[in-house]
Amino acid sequence: MTNEALYQERFQRIQKAIRLEPVDTTPVVFMGTAFAARYMGITIADFCANGETAFQANLATVKRLGGLDGVNLGGGGRITALLTSLWLSRLGVPGRDLPADSLWQVREAEVMTPEDYDTIVKIGWGPFFGSYLPRVIDPQEFGESMGWVMANTPRIQQTYREAGYVVVCDAPVNVNIPFEYLCGARSMQKFFLDLYRMPDRVKAAMDVIQGEILAQIKAAPPFGGIRGTWLGGWRSASALVAPRLWNRLVWPYILEQAEALIEVGITPVLHWDQDWTRDLVRLQELPAKKCILNPDGMTDVRKFKELVGDRMAMMGDIPAAMFAAGTPDDIRAYVRDLVNLFGNTGLILCPGCDAPINTKPENMEAFVAAAREYGKVG
Amino acid sequence: MAKELTLAMADLDEGKVQELVQAGLAQGVNPTLLLDDCREGIGLVGKRFETGEYYLSDLIMAGEIFKTAAATLIAQPGGAGGPAKGKVVIGTVKGDIHDIGKDIVVTMLRGAGYDVTDLGVDVPPAKFVQAVKETGAPVVGLSGLLTISFDPMKETVAALKAAGLPVKVMIGGGSLTEQVREYVGADALGADAQSAVALADGWIVAQEVAR
Repeated sequence: MTNEALYQERFQRIQKAIRLEPVDTTPVVFMGTAFAARYMGITIADFCANGETAFQANLATVKRLGGLDGVNLGGGGRITALLTSLWLSRLGVPGRDLPADSLWQVREAEVMTPEDYDTIVKIGWGPFFGSYLPRVIDPQEFGESMGWVMANTPRIQQTYREAGYVVVCDAPVNVNIPFEYLCGARSMQKFFLDLYRMPDRVKAAMDVIQGEILAQIKAAPPFGGIRGTWLGGWRSASALVAPRLWNRLVWPYILEQAEALIEVGITPVLHWDQDWTRDLVRLQELPAKKCILNPDGMTDVRKFKELVGDRMAMMGDIPAAMFAAGTPDDIRAYVRDLVNLFGNTGLILCPGCDAPINTKPENMEAFVAAAREYGKVG
Repeated sequence: MAKELTLAMADLDEGKVQELVQAGLAQGVNPTLLLDDCREGIGLVGKRFETGEYYLSDLIMAGEIFKTAAATLIAQPGGAGGPAKGKVVIGTVKGDIHDIGKDIVVTMLRGAGYDVTDLGVDVPPAKFVQAVKETGAPVVGLSGLLTISFDPMKETVAALKAAGLPVKVMIGGGSLTEQVREYVGADALGADAQSAVALADGWIVAQEVAR
């Protein structure tokens, strides 16, 4: 079979999973950013310093693992700049601020001030974002990094395709809910206090941010492929935010962005870390068979299956801790249980969130093997 | 007054707590009694968290209100205080610089009446050993958000054992599971801040009974 035929077969398999149609075997995709560096014997410093090195490490990892249908993300570009663009926080960069082979880490700090909420309302999100960036990253480094991503993303996706692999999140749109931007910029401690002390001020800024993001979504260019994009949630998780705050400052923004993405043919991939079980029922408000839940092992997927299993696929959710501290038998059992739960519809096997830096290689290899062993159902 | 302050604390009413603390002090109420009321309020916050009425954001807000009130009361002439319920040493282990979860646990433990030695973040095993020797704390809390904290946690538990220190060790943090607790060799996993208080309470009571 040619790689293009393989790609088509895998593409259809993933598409069917998203549409909750029966599959011949459960699709399995890779997600393991720092693991890829370790697996390929590259220092984390080198992985972070060069977007091409990061991409090649991801691609080589996927090829070495074999048997995968594709990847959650393409995995190119300088990860620390990409994370800064999502979290608006300073990051400790390996080889510069941290030991060369250690993991990048967020340096939690109050960078944005309460007055900045008013500035966002006054001047708009785009201008504020531009003026804010120098507080958390060298603008030249950021510009070069993001420029590299923009210039090379089509080549990265084509390279995966030529190798027979599907990139799930291939849409040319990056979105994020205002809660996550502001929480990263203010620091979690300060932002959560703001939610109690000045909720209207926070919401006014959120509404301005949301308006600009919705405009970006509407302007998304036509594009082929799965057309997935992360619509992430980390610190906005149900387990972290009181319901009265979540219902006002989290969910309406997720819902609105997801609907806007679907409107232009993009598949929202709800990359939700932490525990969202409390509010899974809200997923029933989203159009059926148009989104993917991408949890990290902390959300109760049984509850998800019960509440939304007939409306939405799940991509996940082997826990990071199991990849690091578990055994191949643990991984096999987890994969088997997931397949038993979902049957042959609505499941894309994937590491929860991102397989960690200290994933045991034998555990990642067991994940792929188990997916192929147990994935044929019905 | 006492009931009102406790309830204001429990209801996360920041302005009312400040107002009642100042009013109590102006009326000559013993600061220690006011602090006890605040602690009782934090206890109610913990209970509401346990029953699913409150979430992490509520704990953060409660901790902030409590810290401000406690600082005011402790700063009074004669200070607020009384004997601590027990001692706990806590820190985020080596290689991990996350402090949000740890700080919440510290506040809840202090709110529950514990004398907490907070070693901060990126703490090497030797520093935990030294702190336990210096304070005589029977309980140690190891915090870590990332999976890279697993091995440093394991090394810290081993170092405490090698030093012959009779401590109970709890671990806590975002990605931790019972499987990780086994790997690390800790005595217990604290799934959240309130669990950490319950674990400390259980161990301290058991220690008292053993005496």
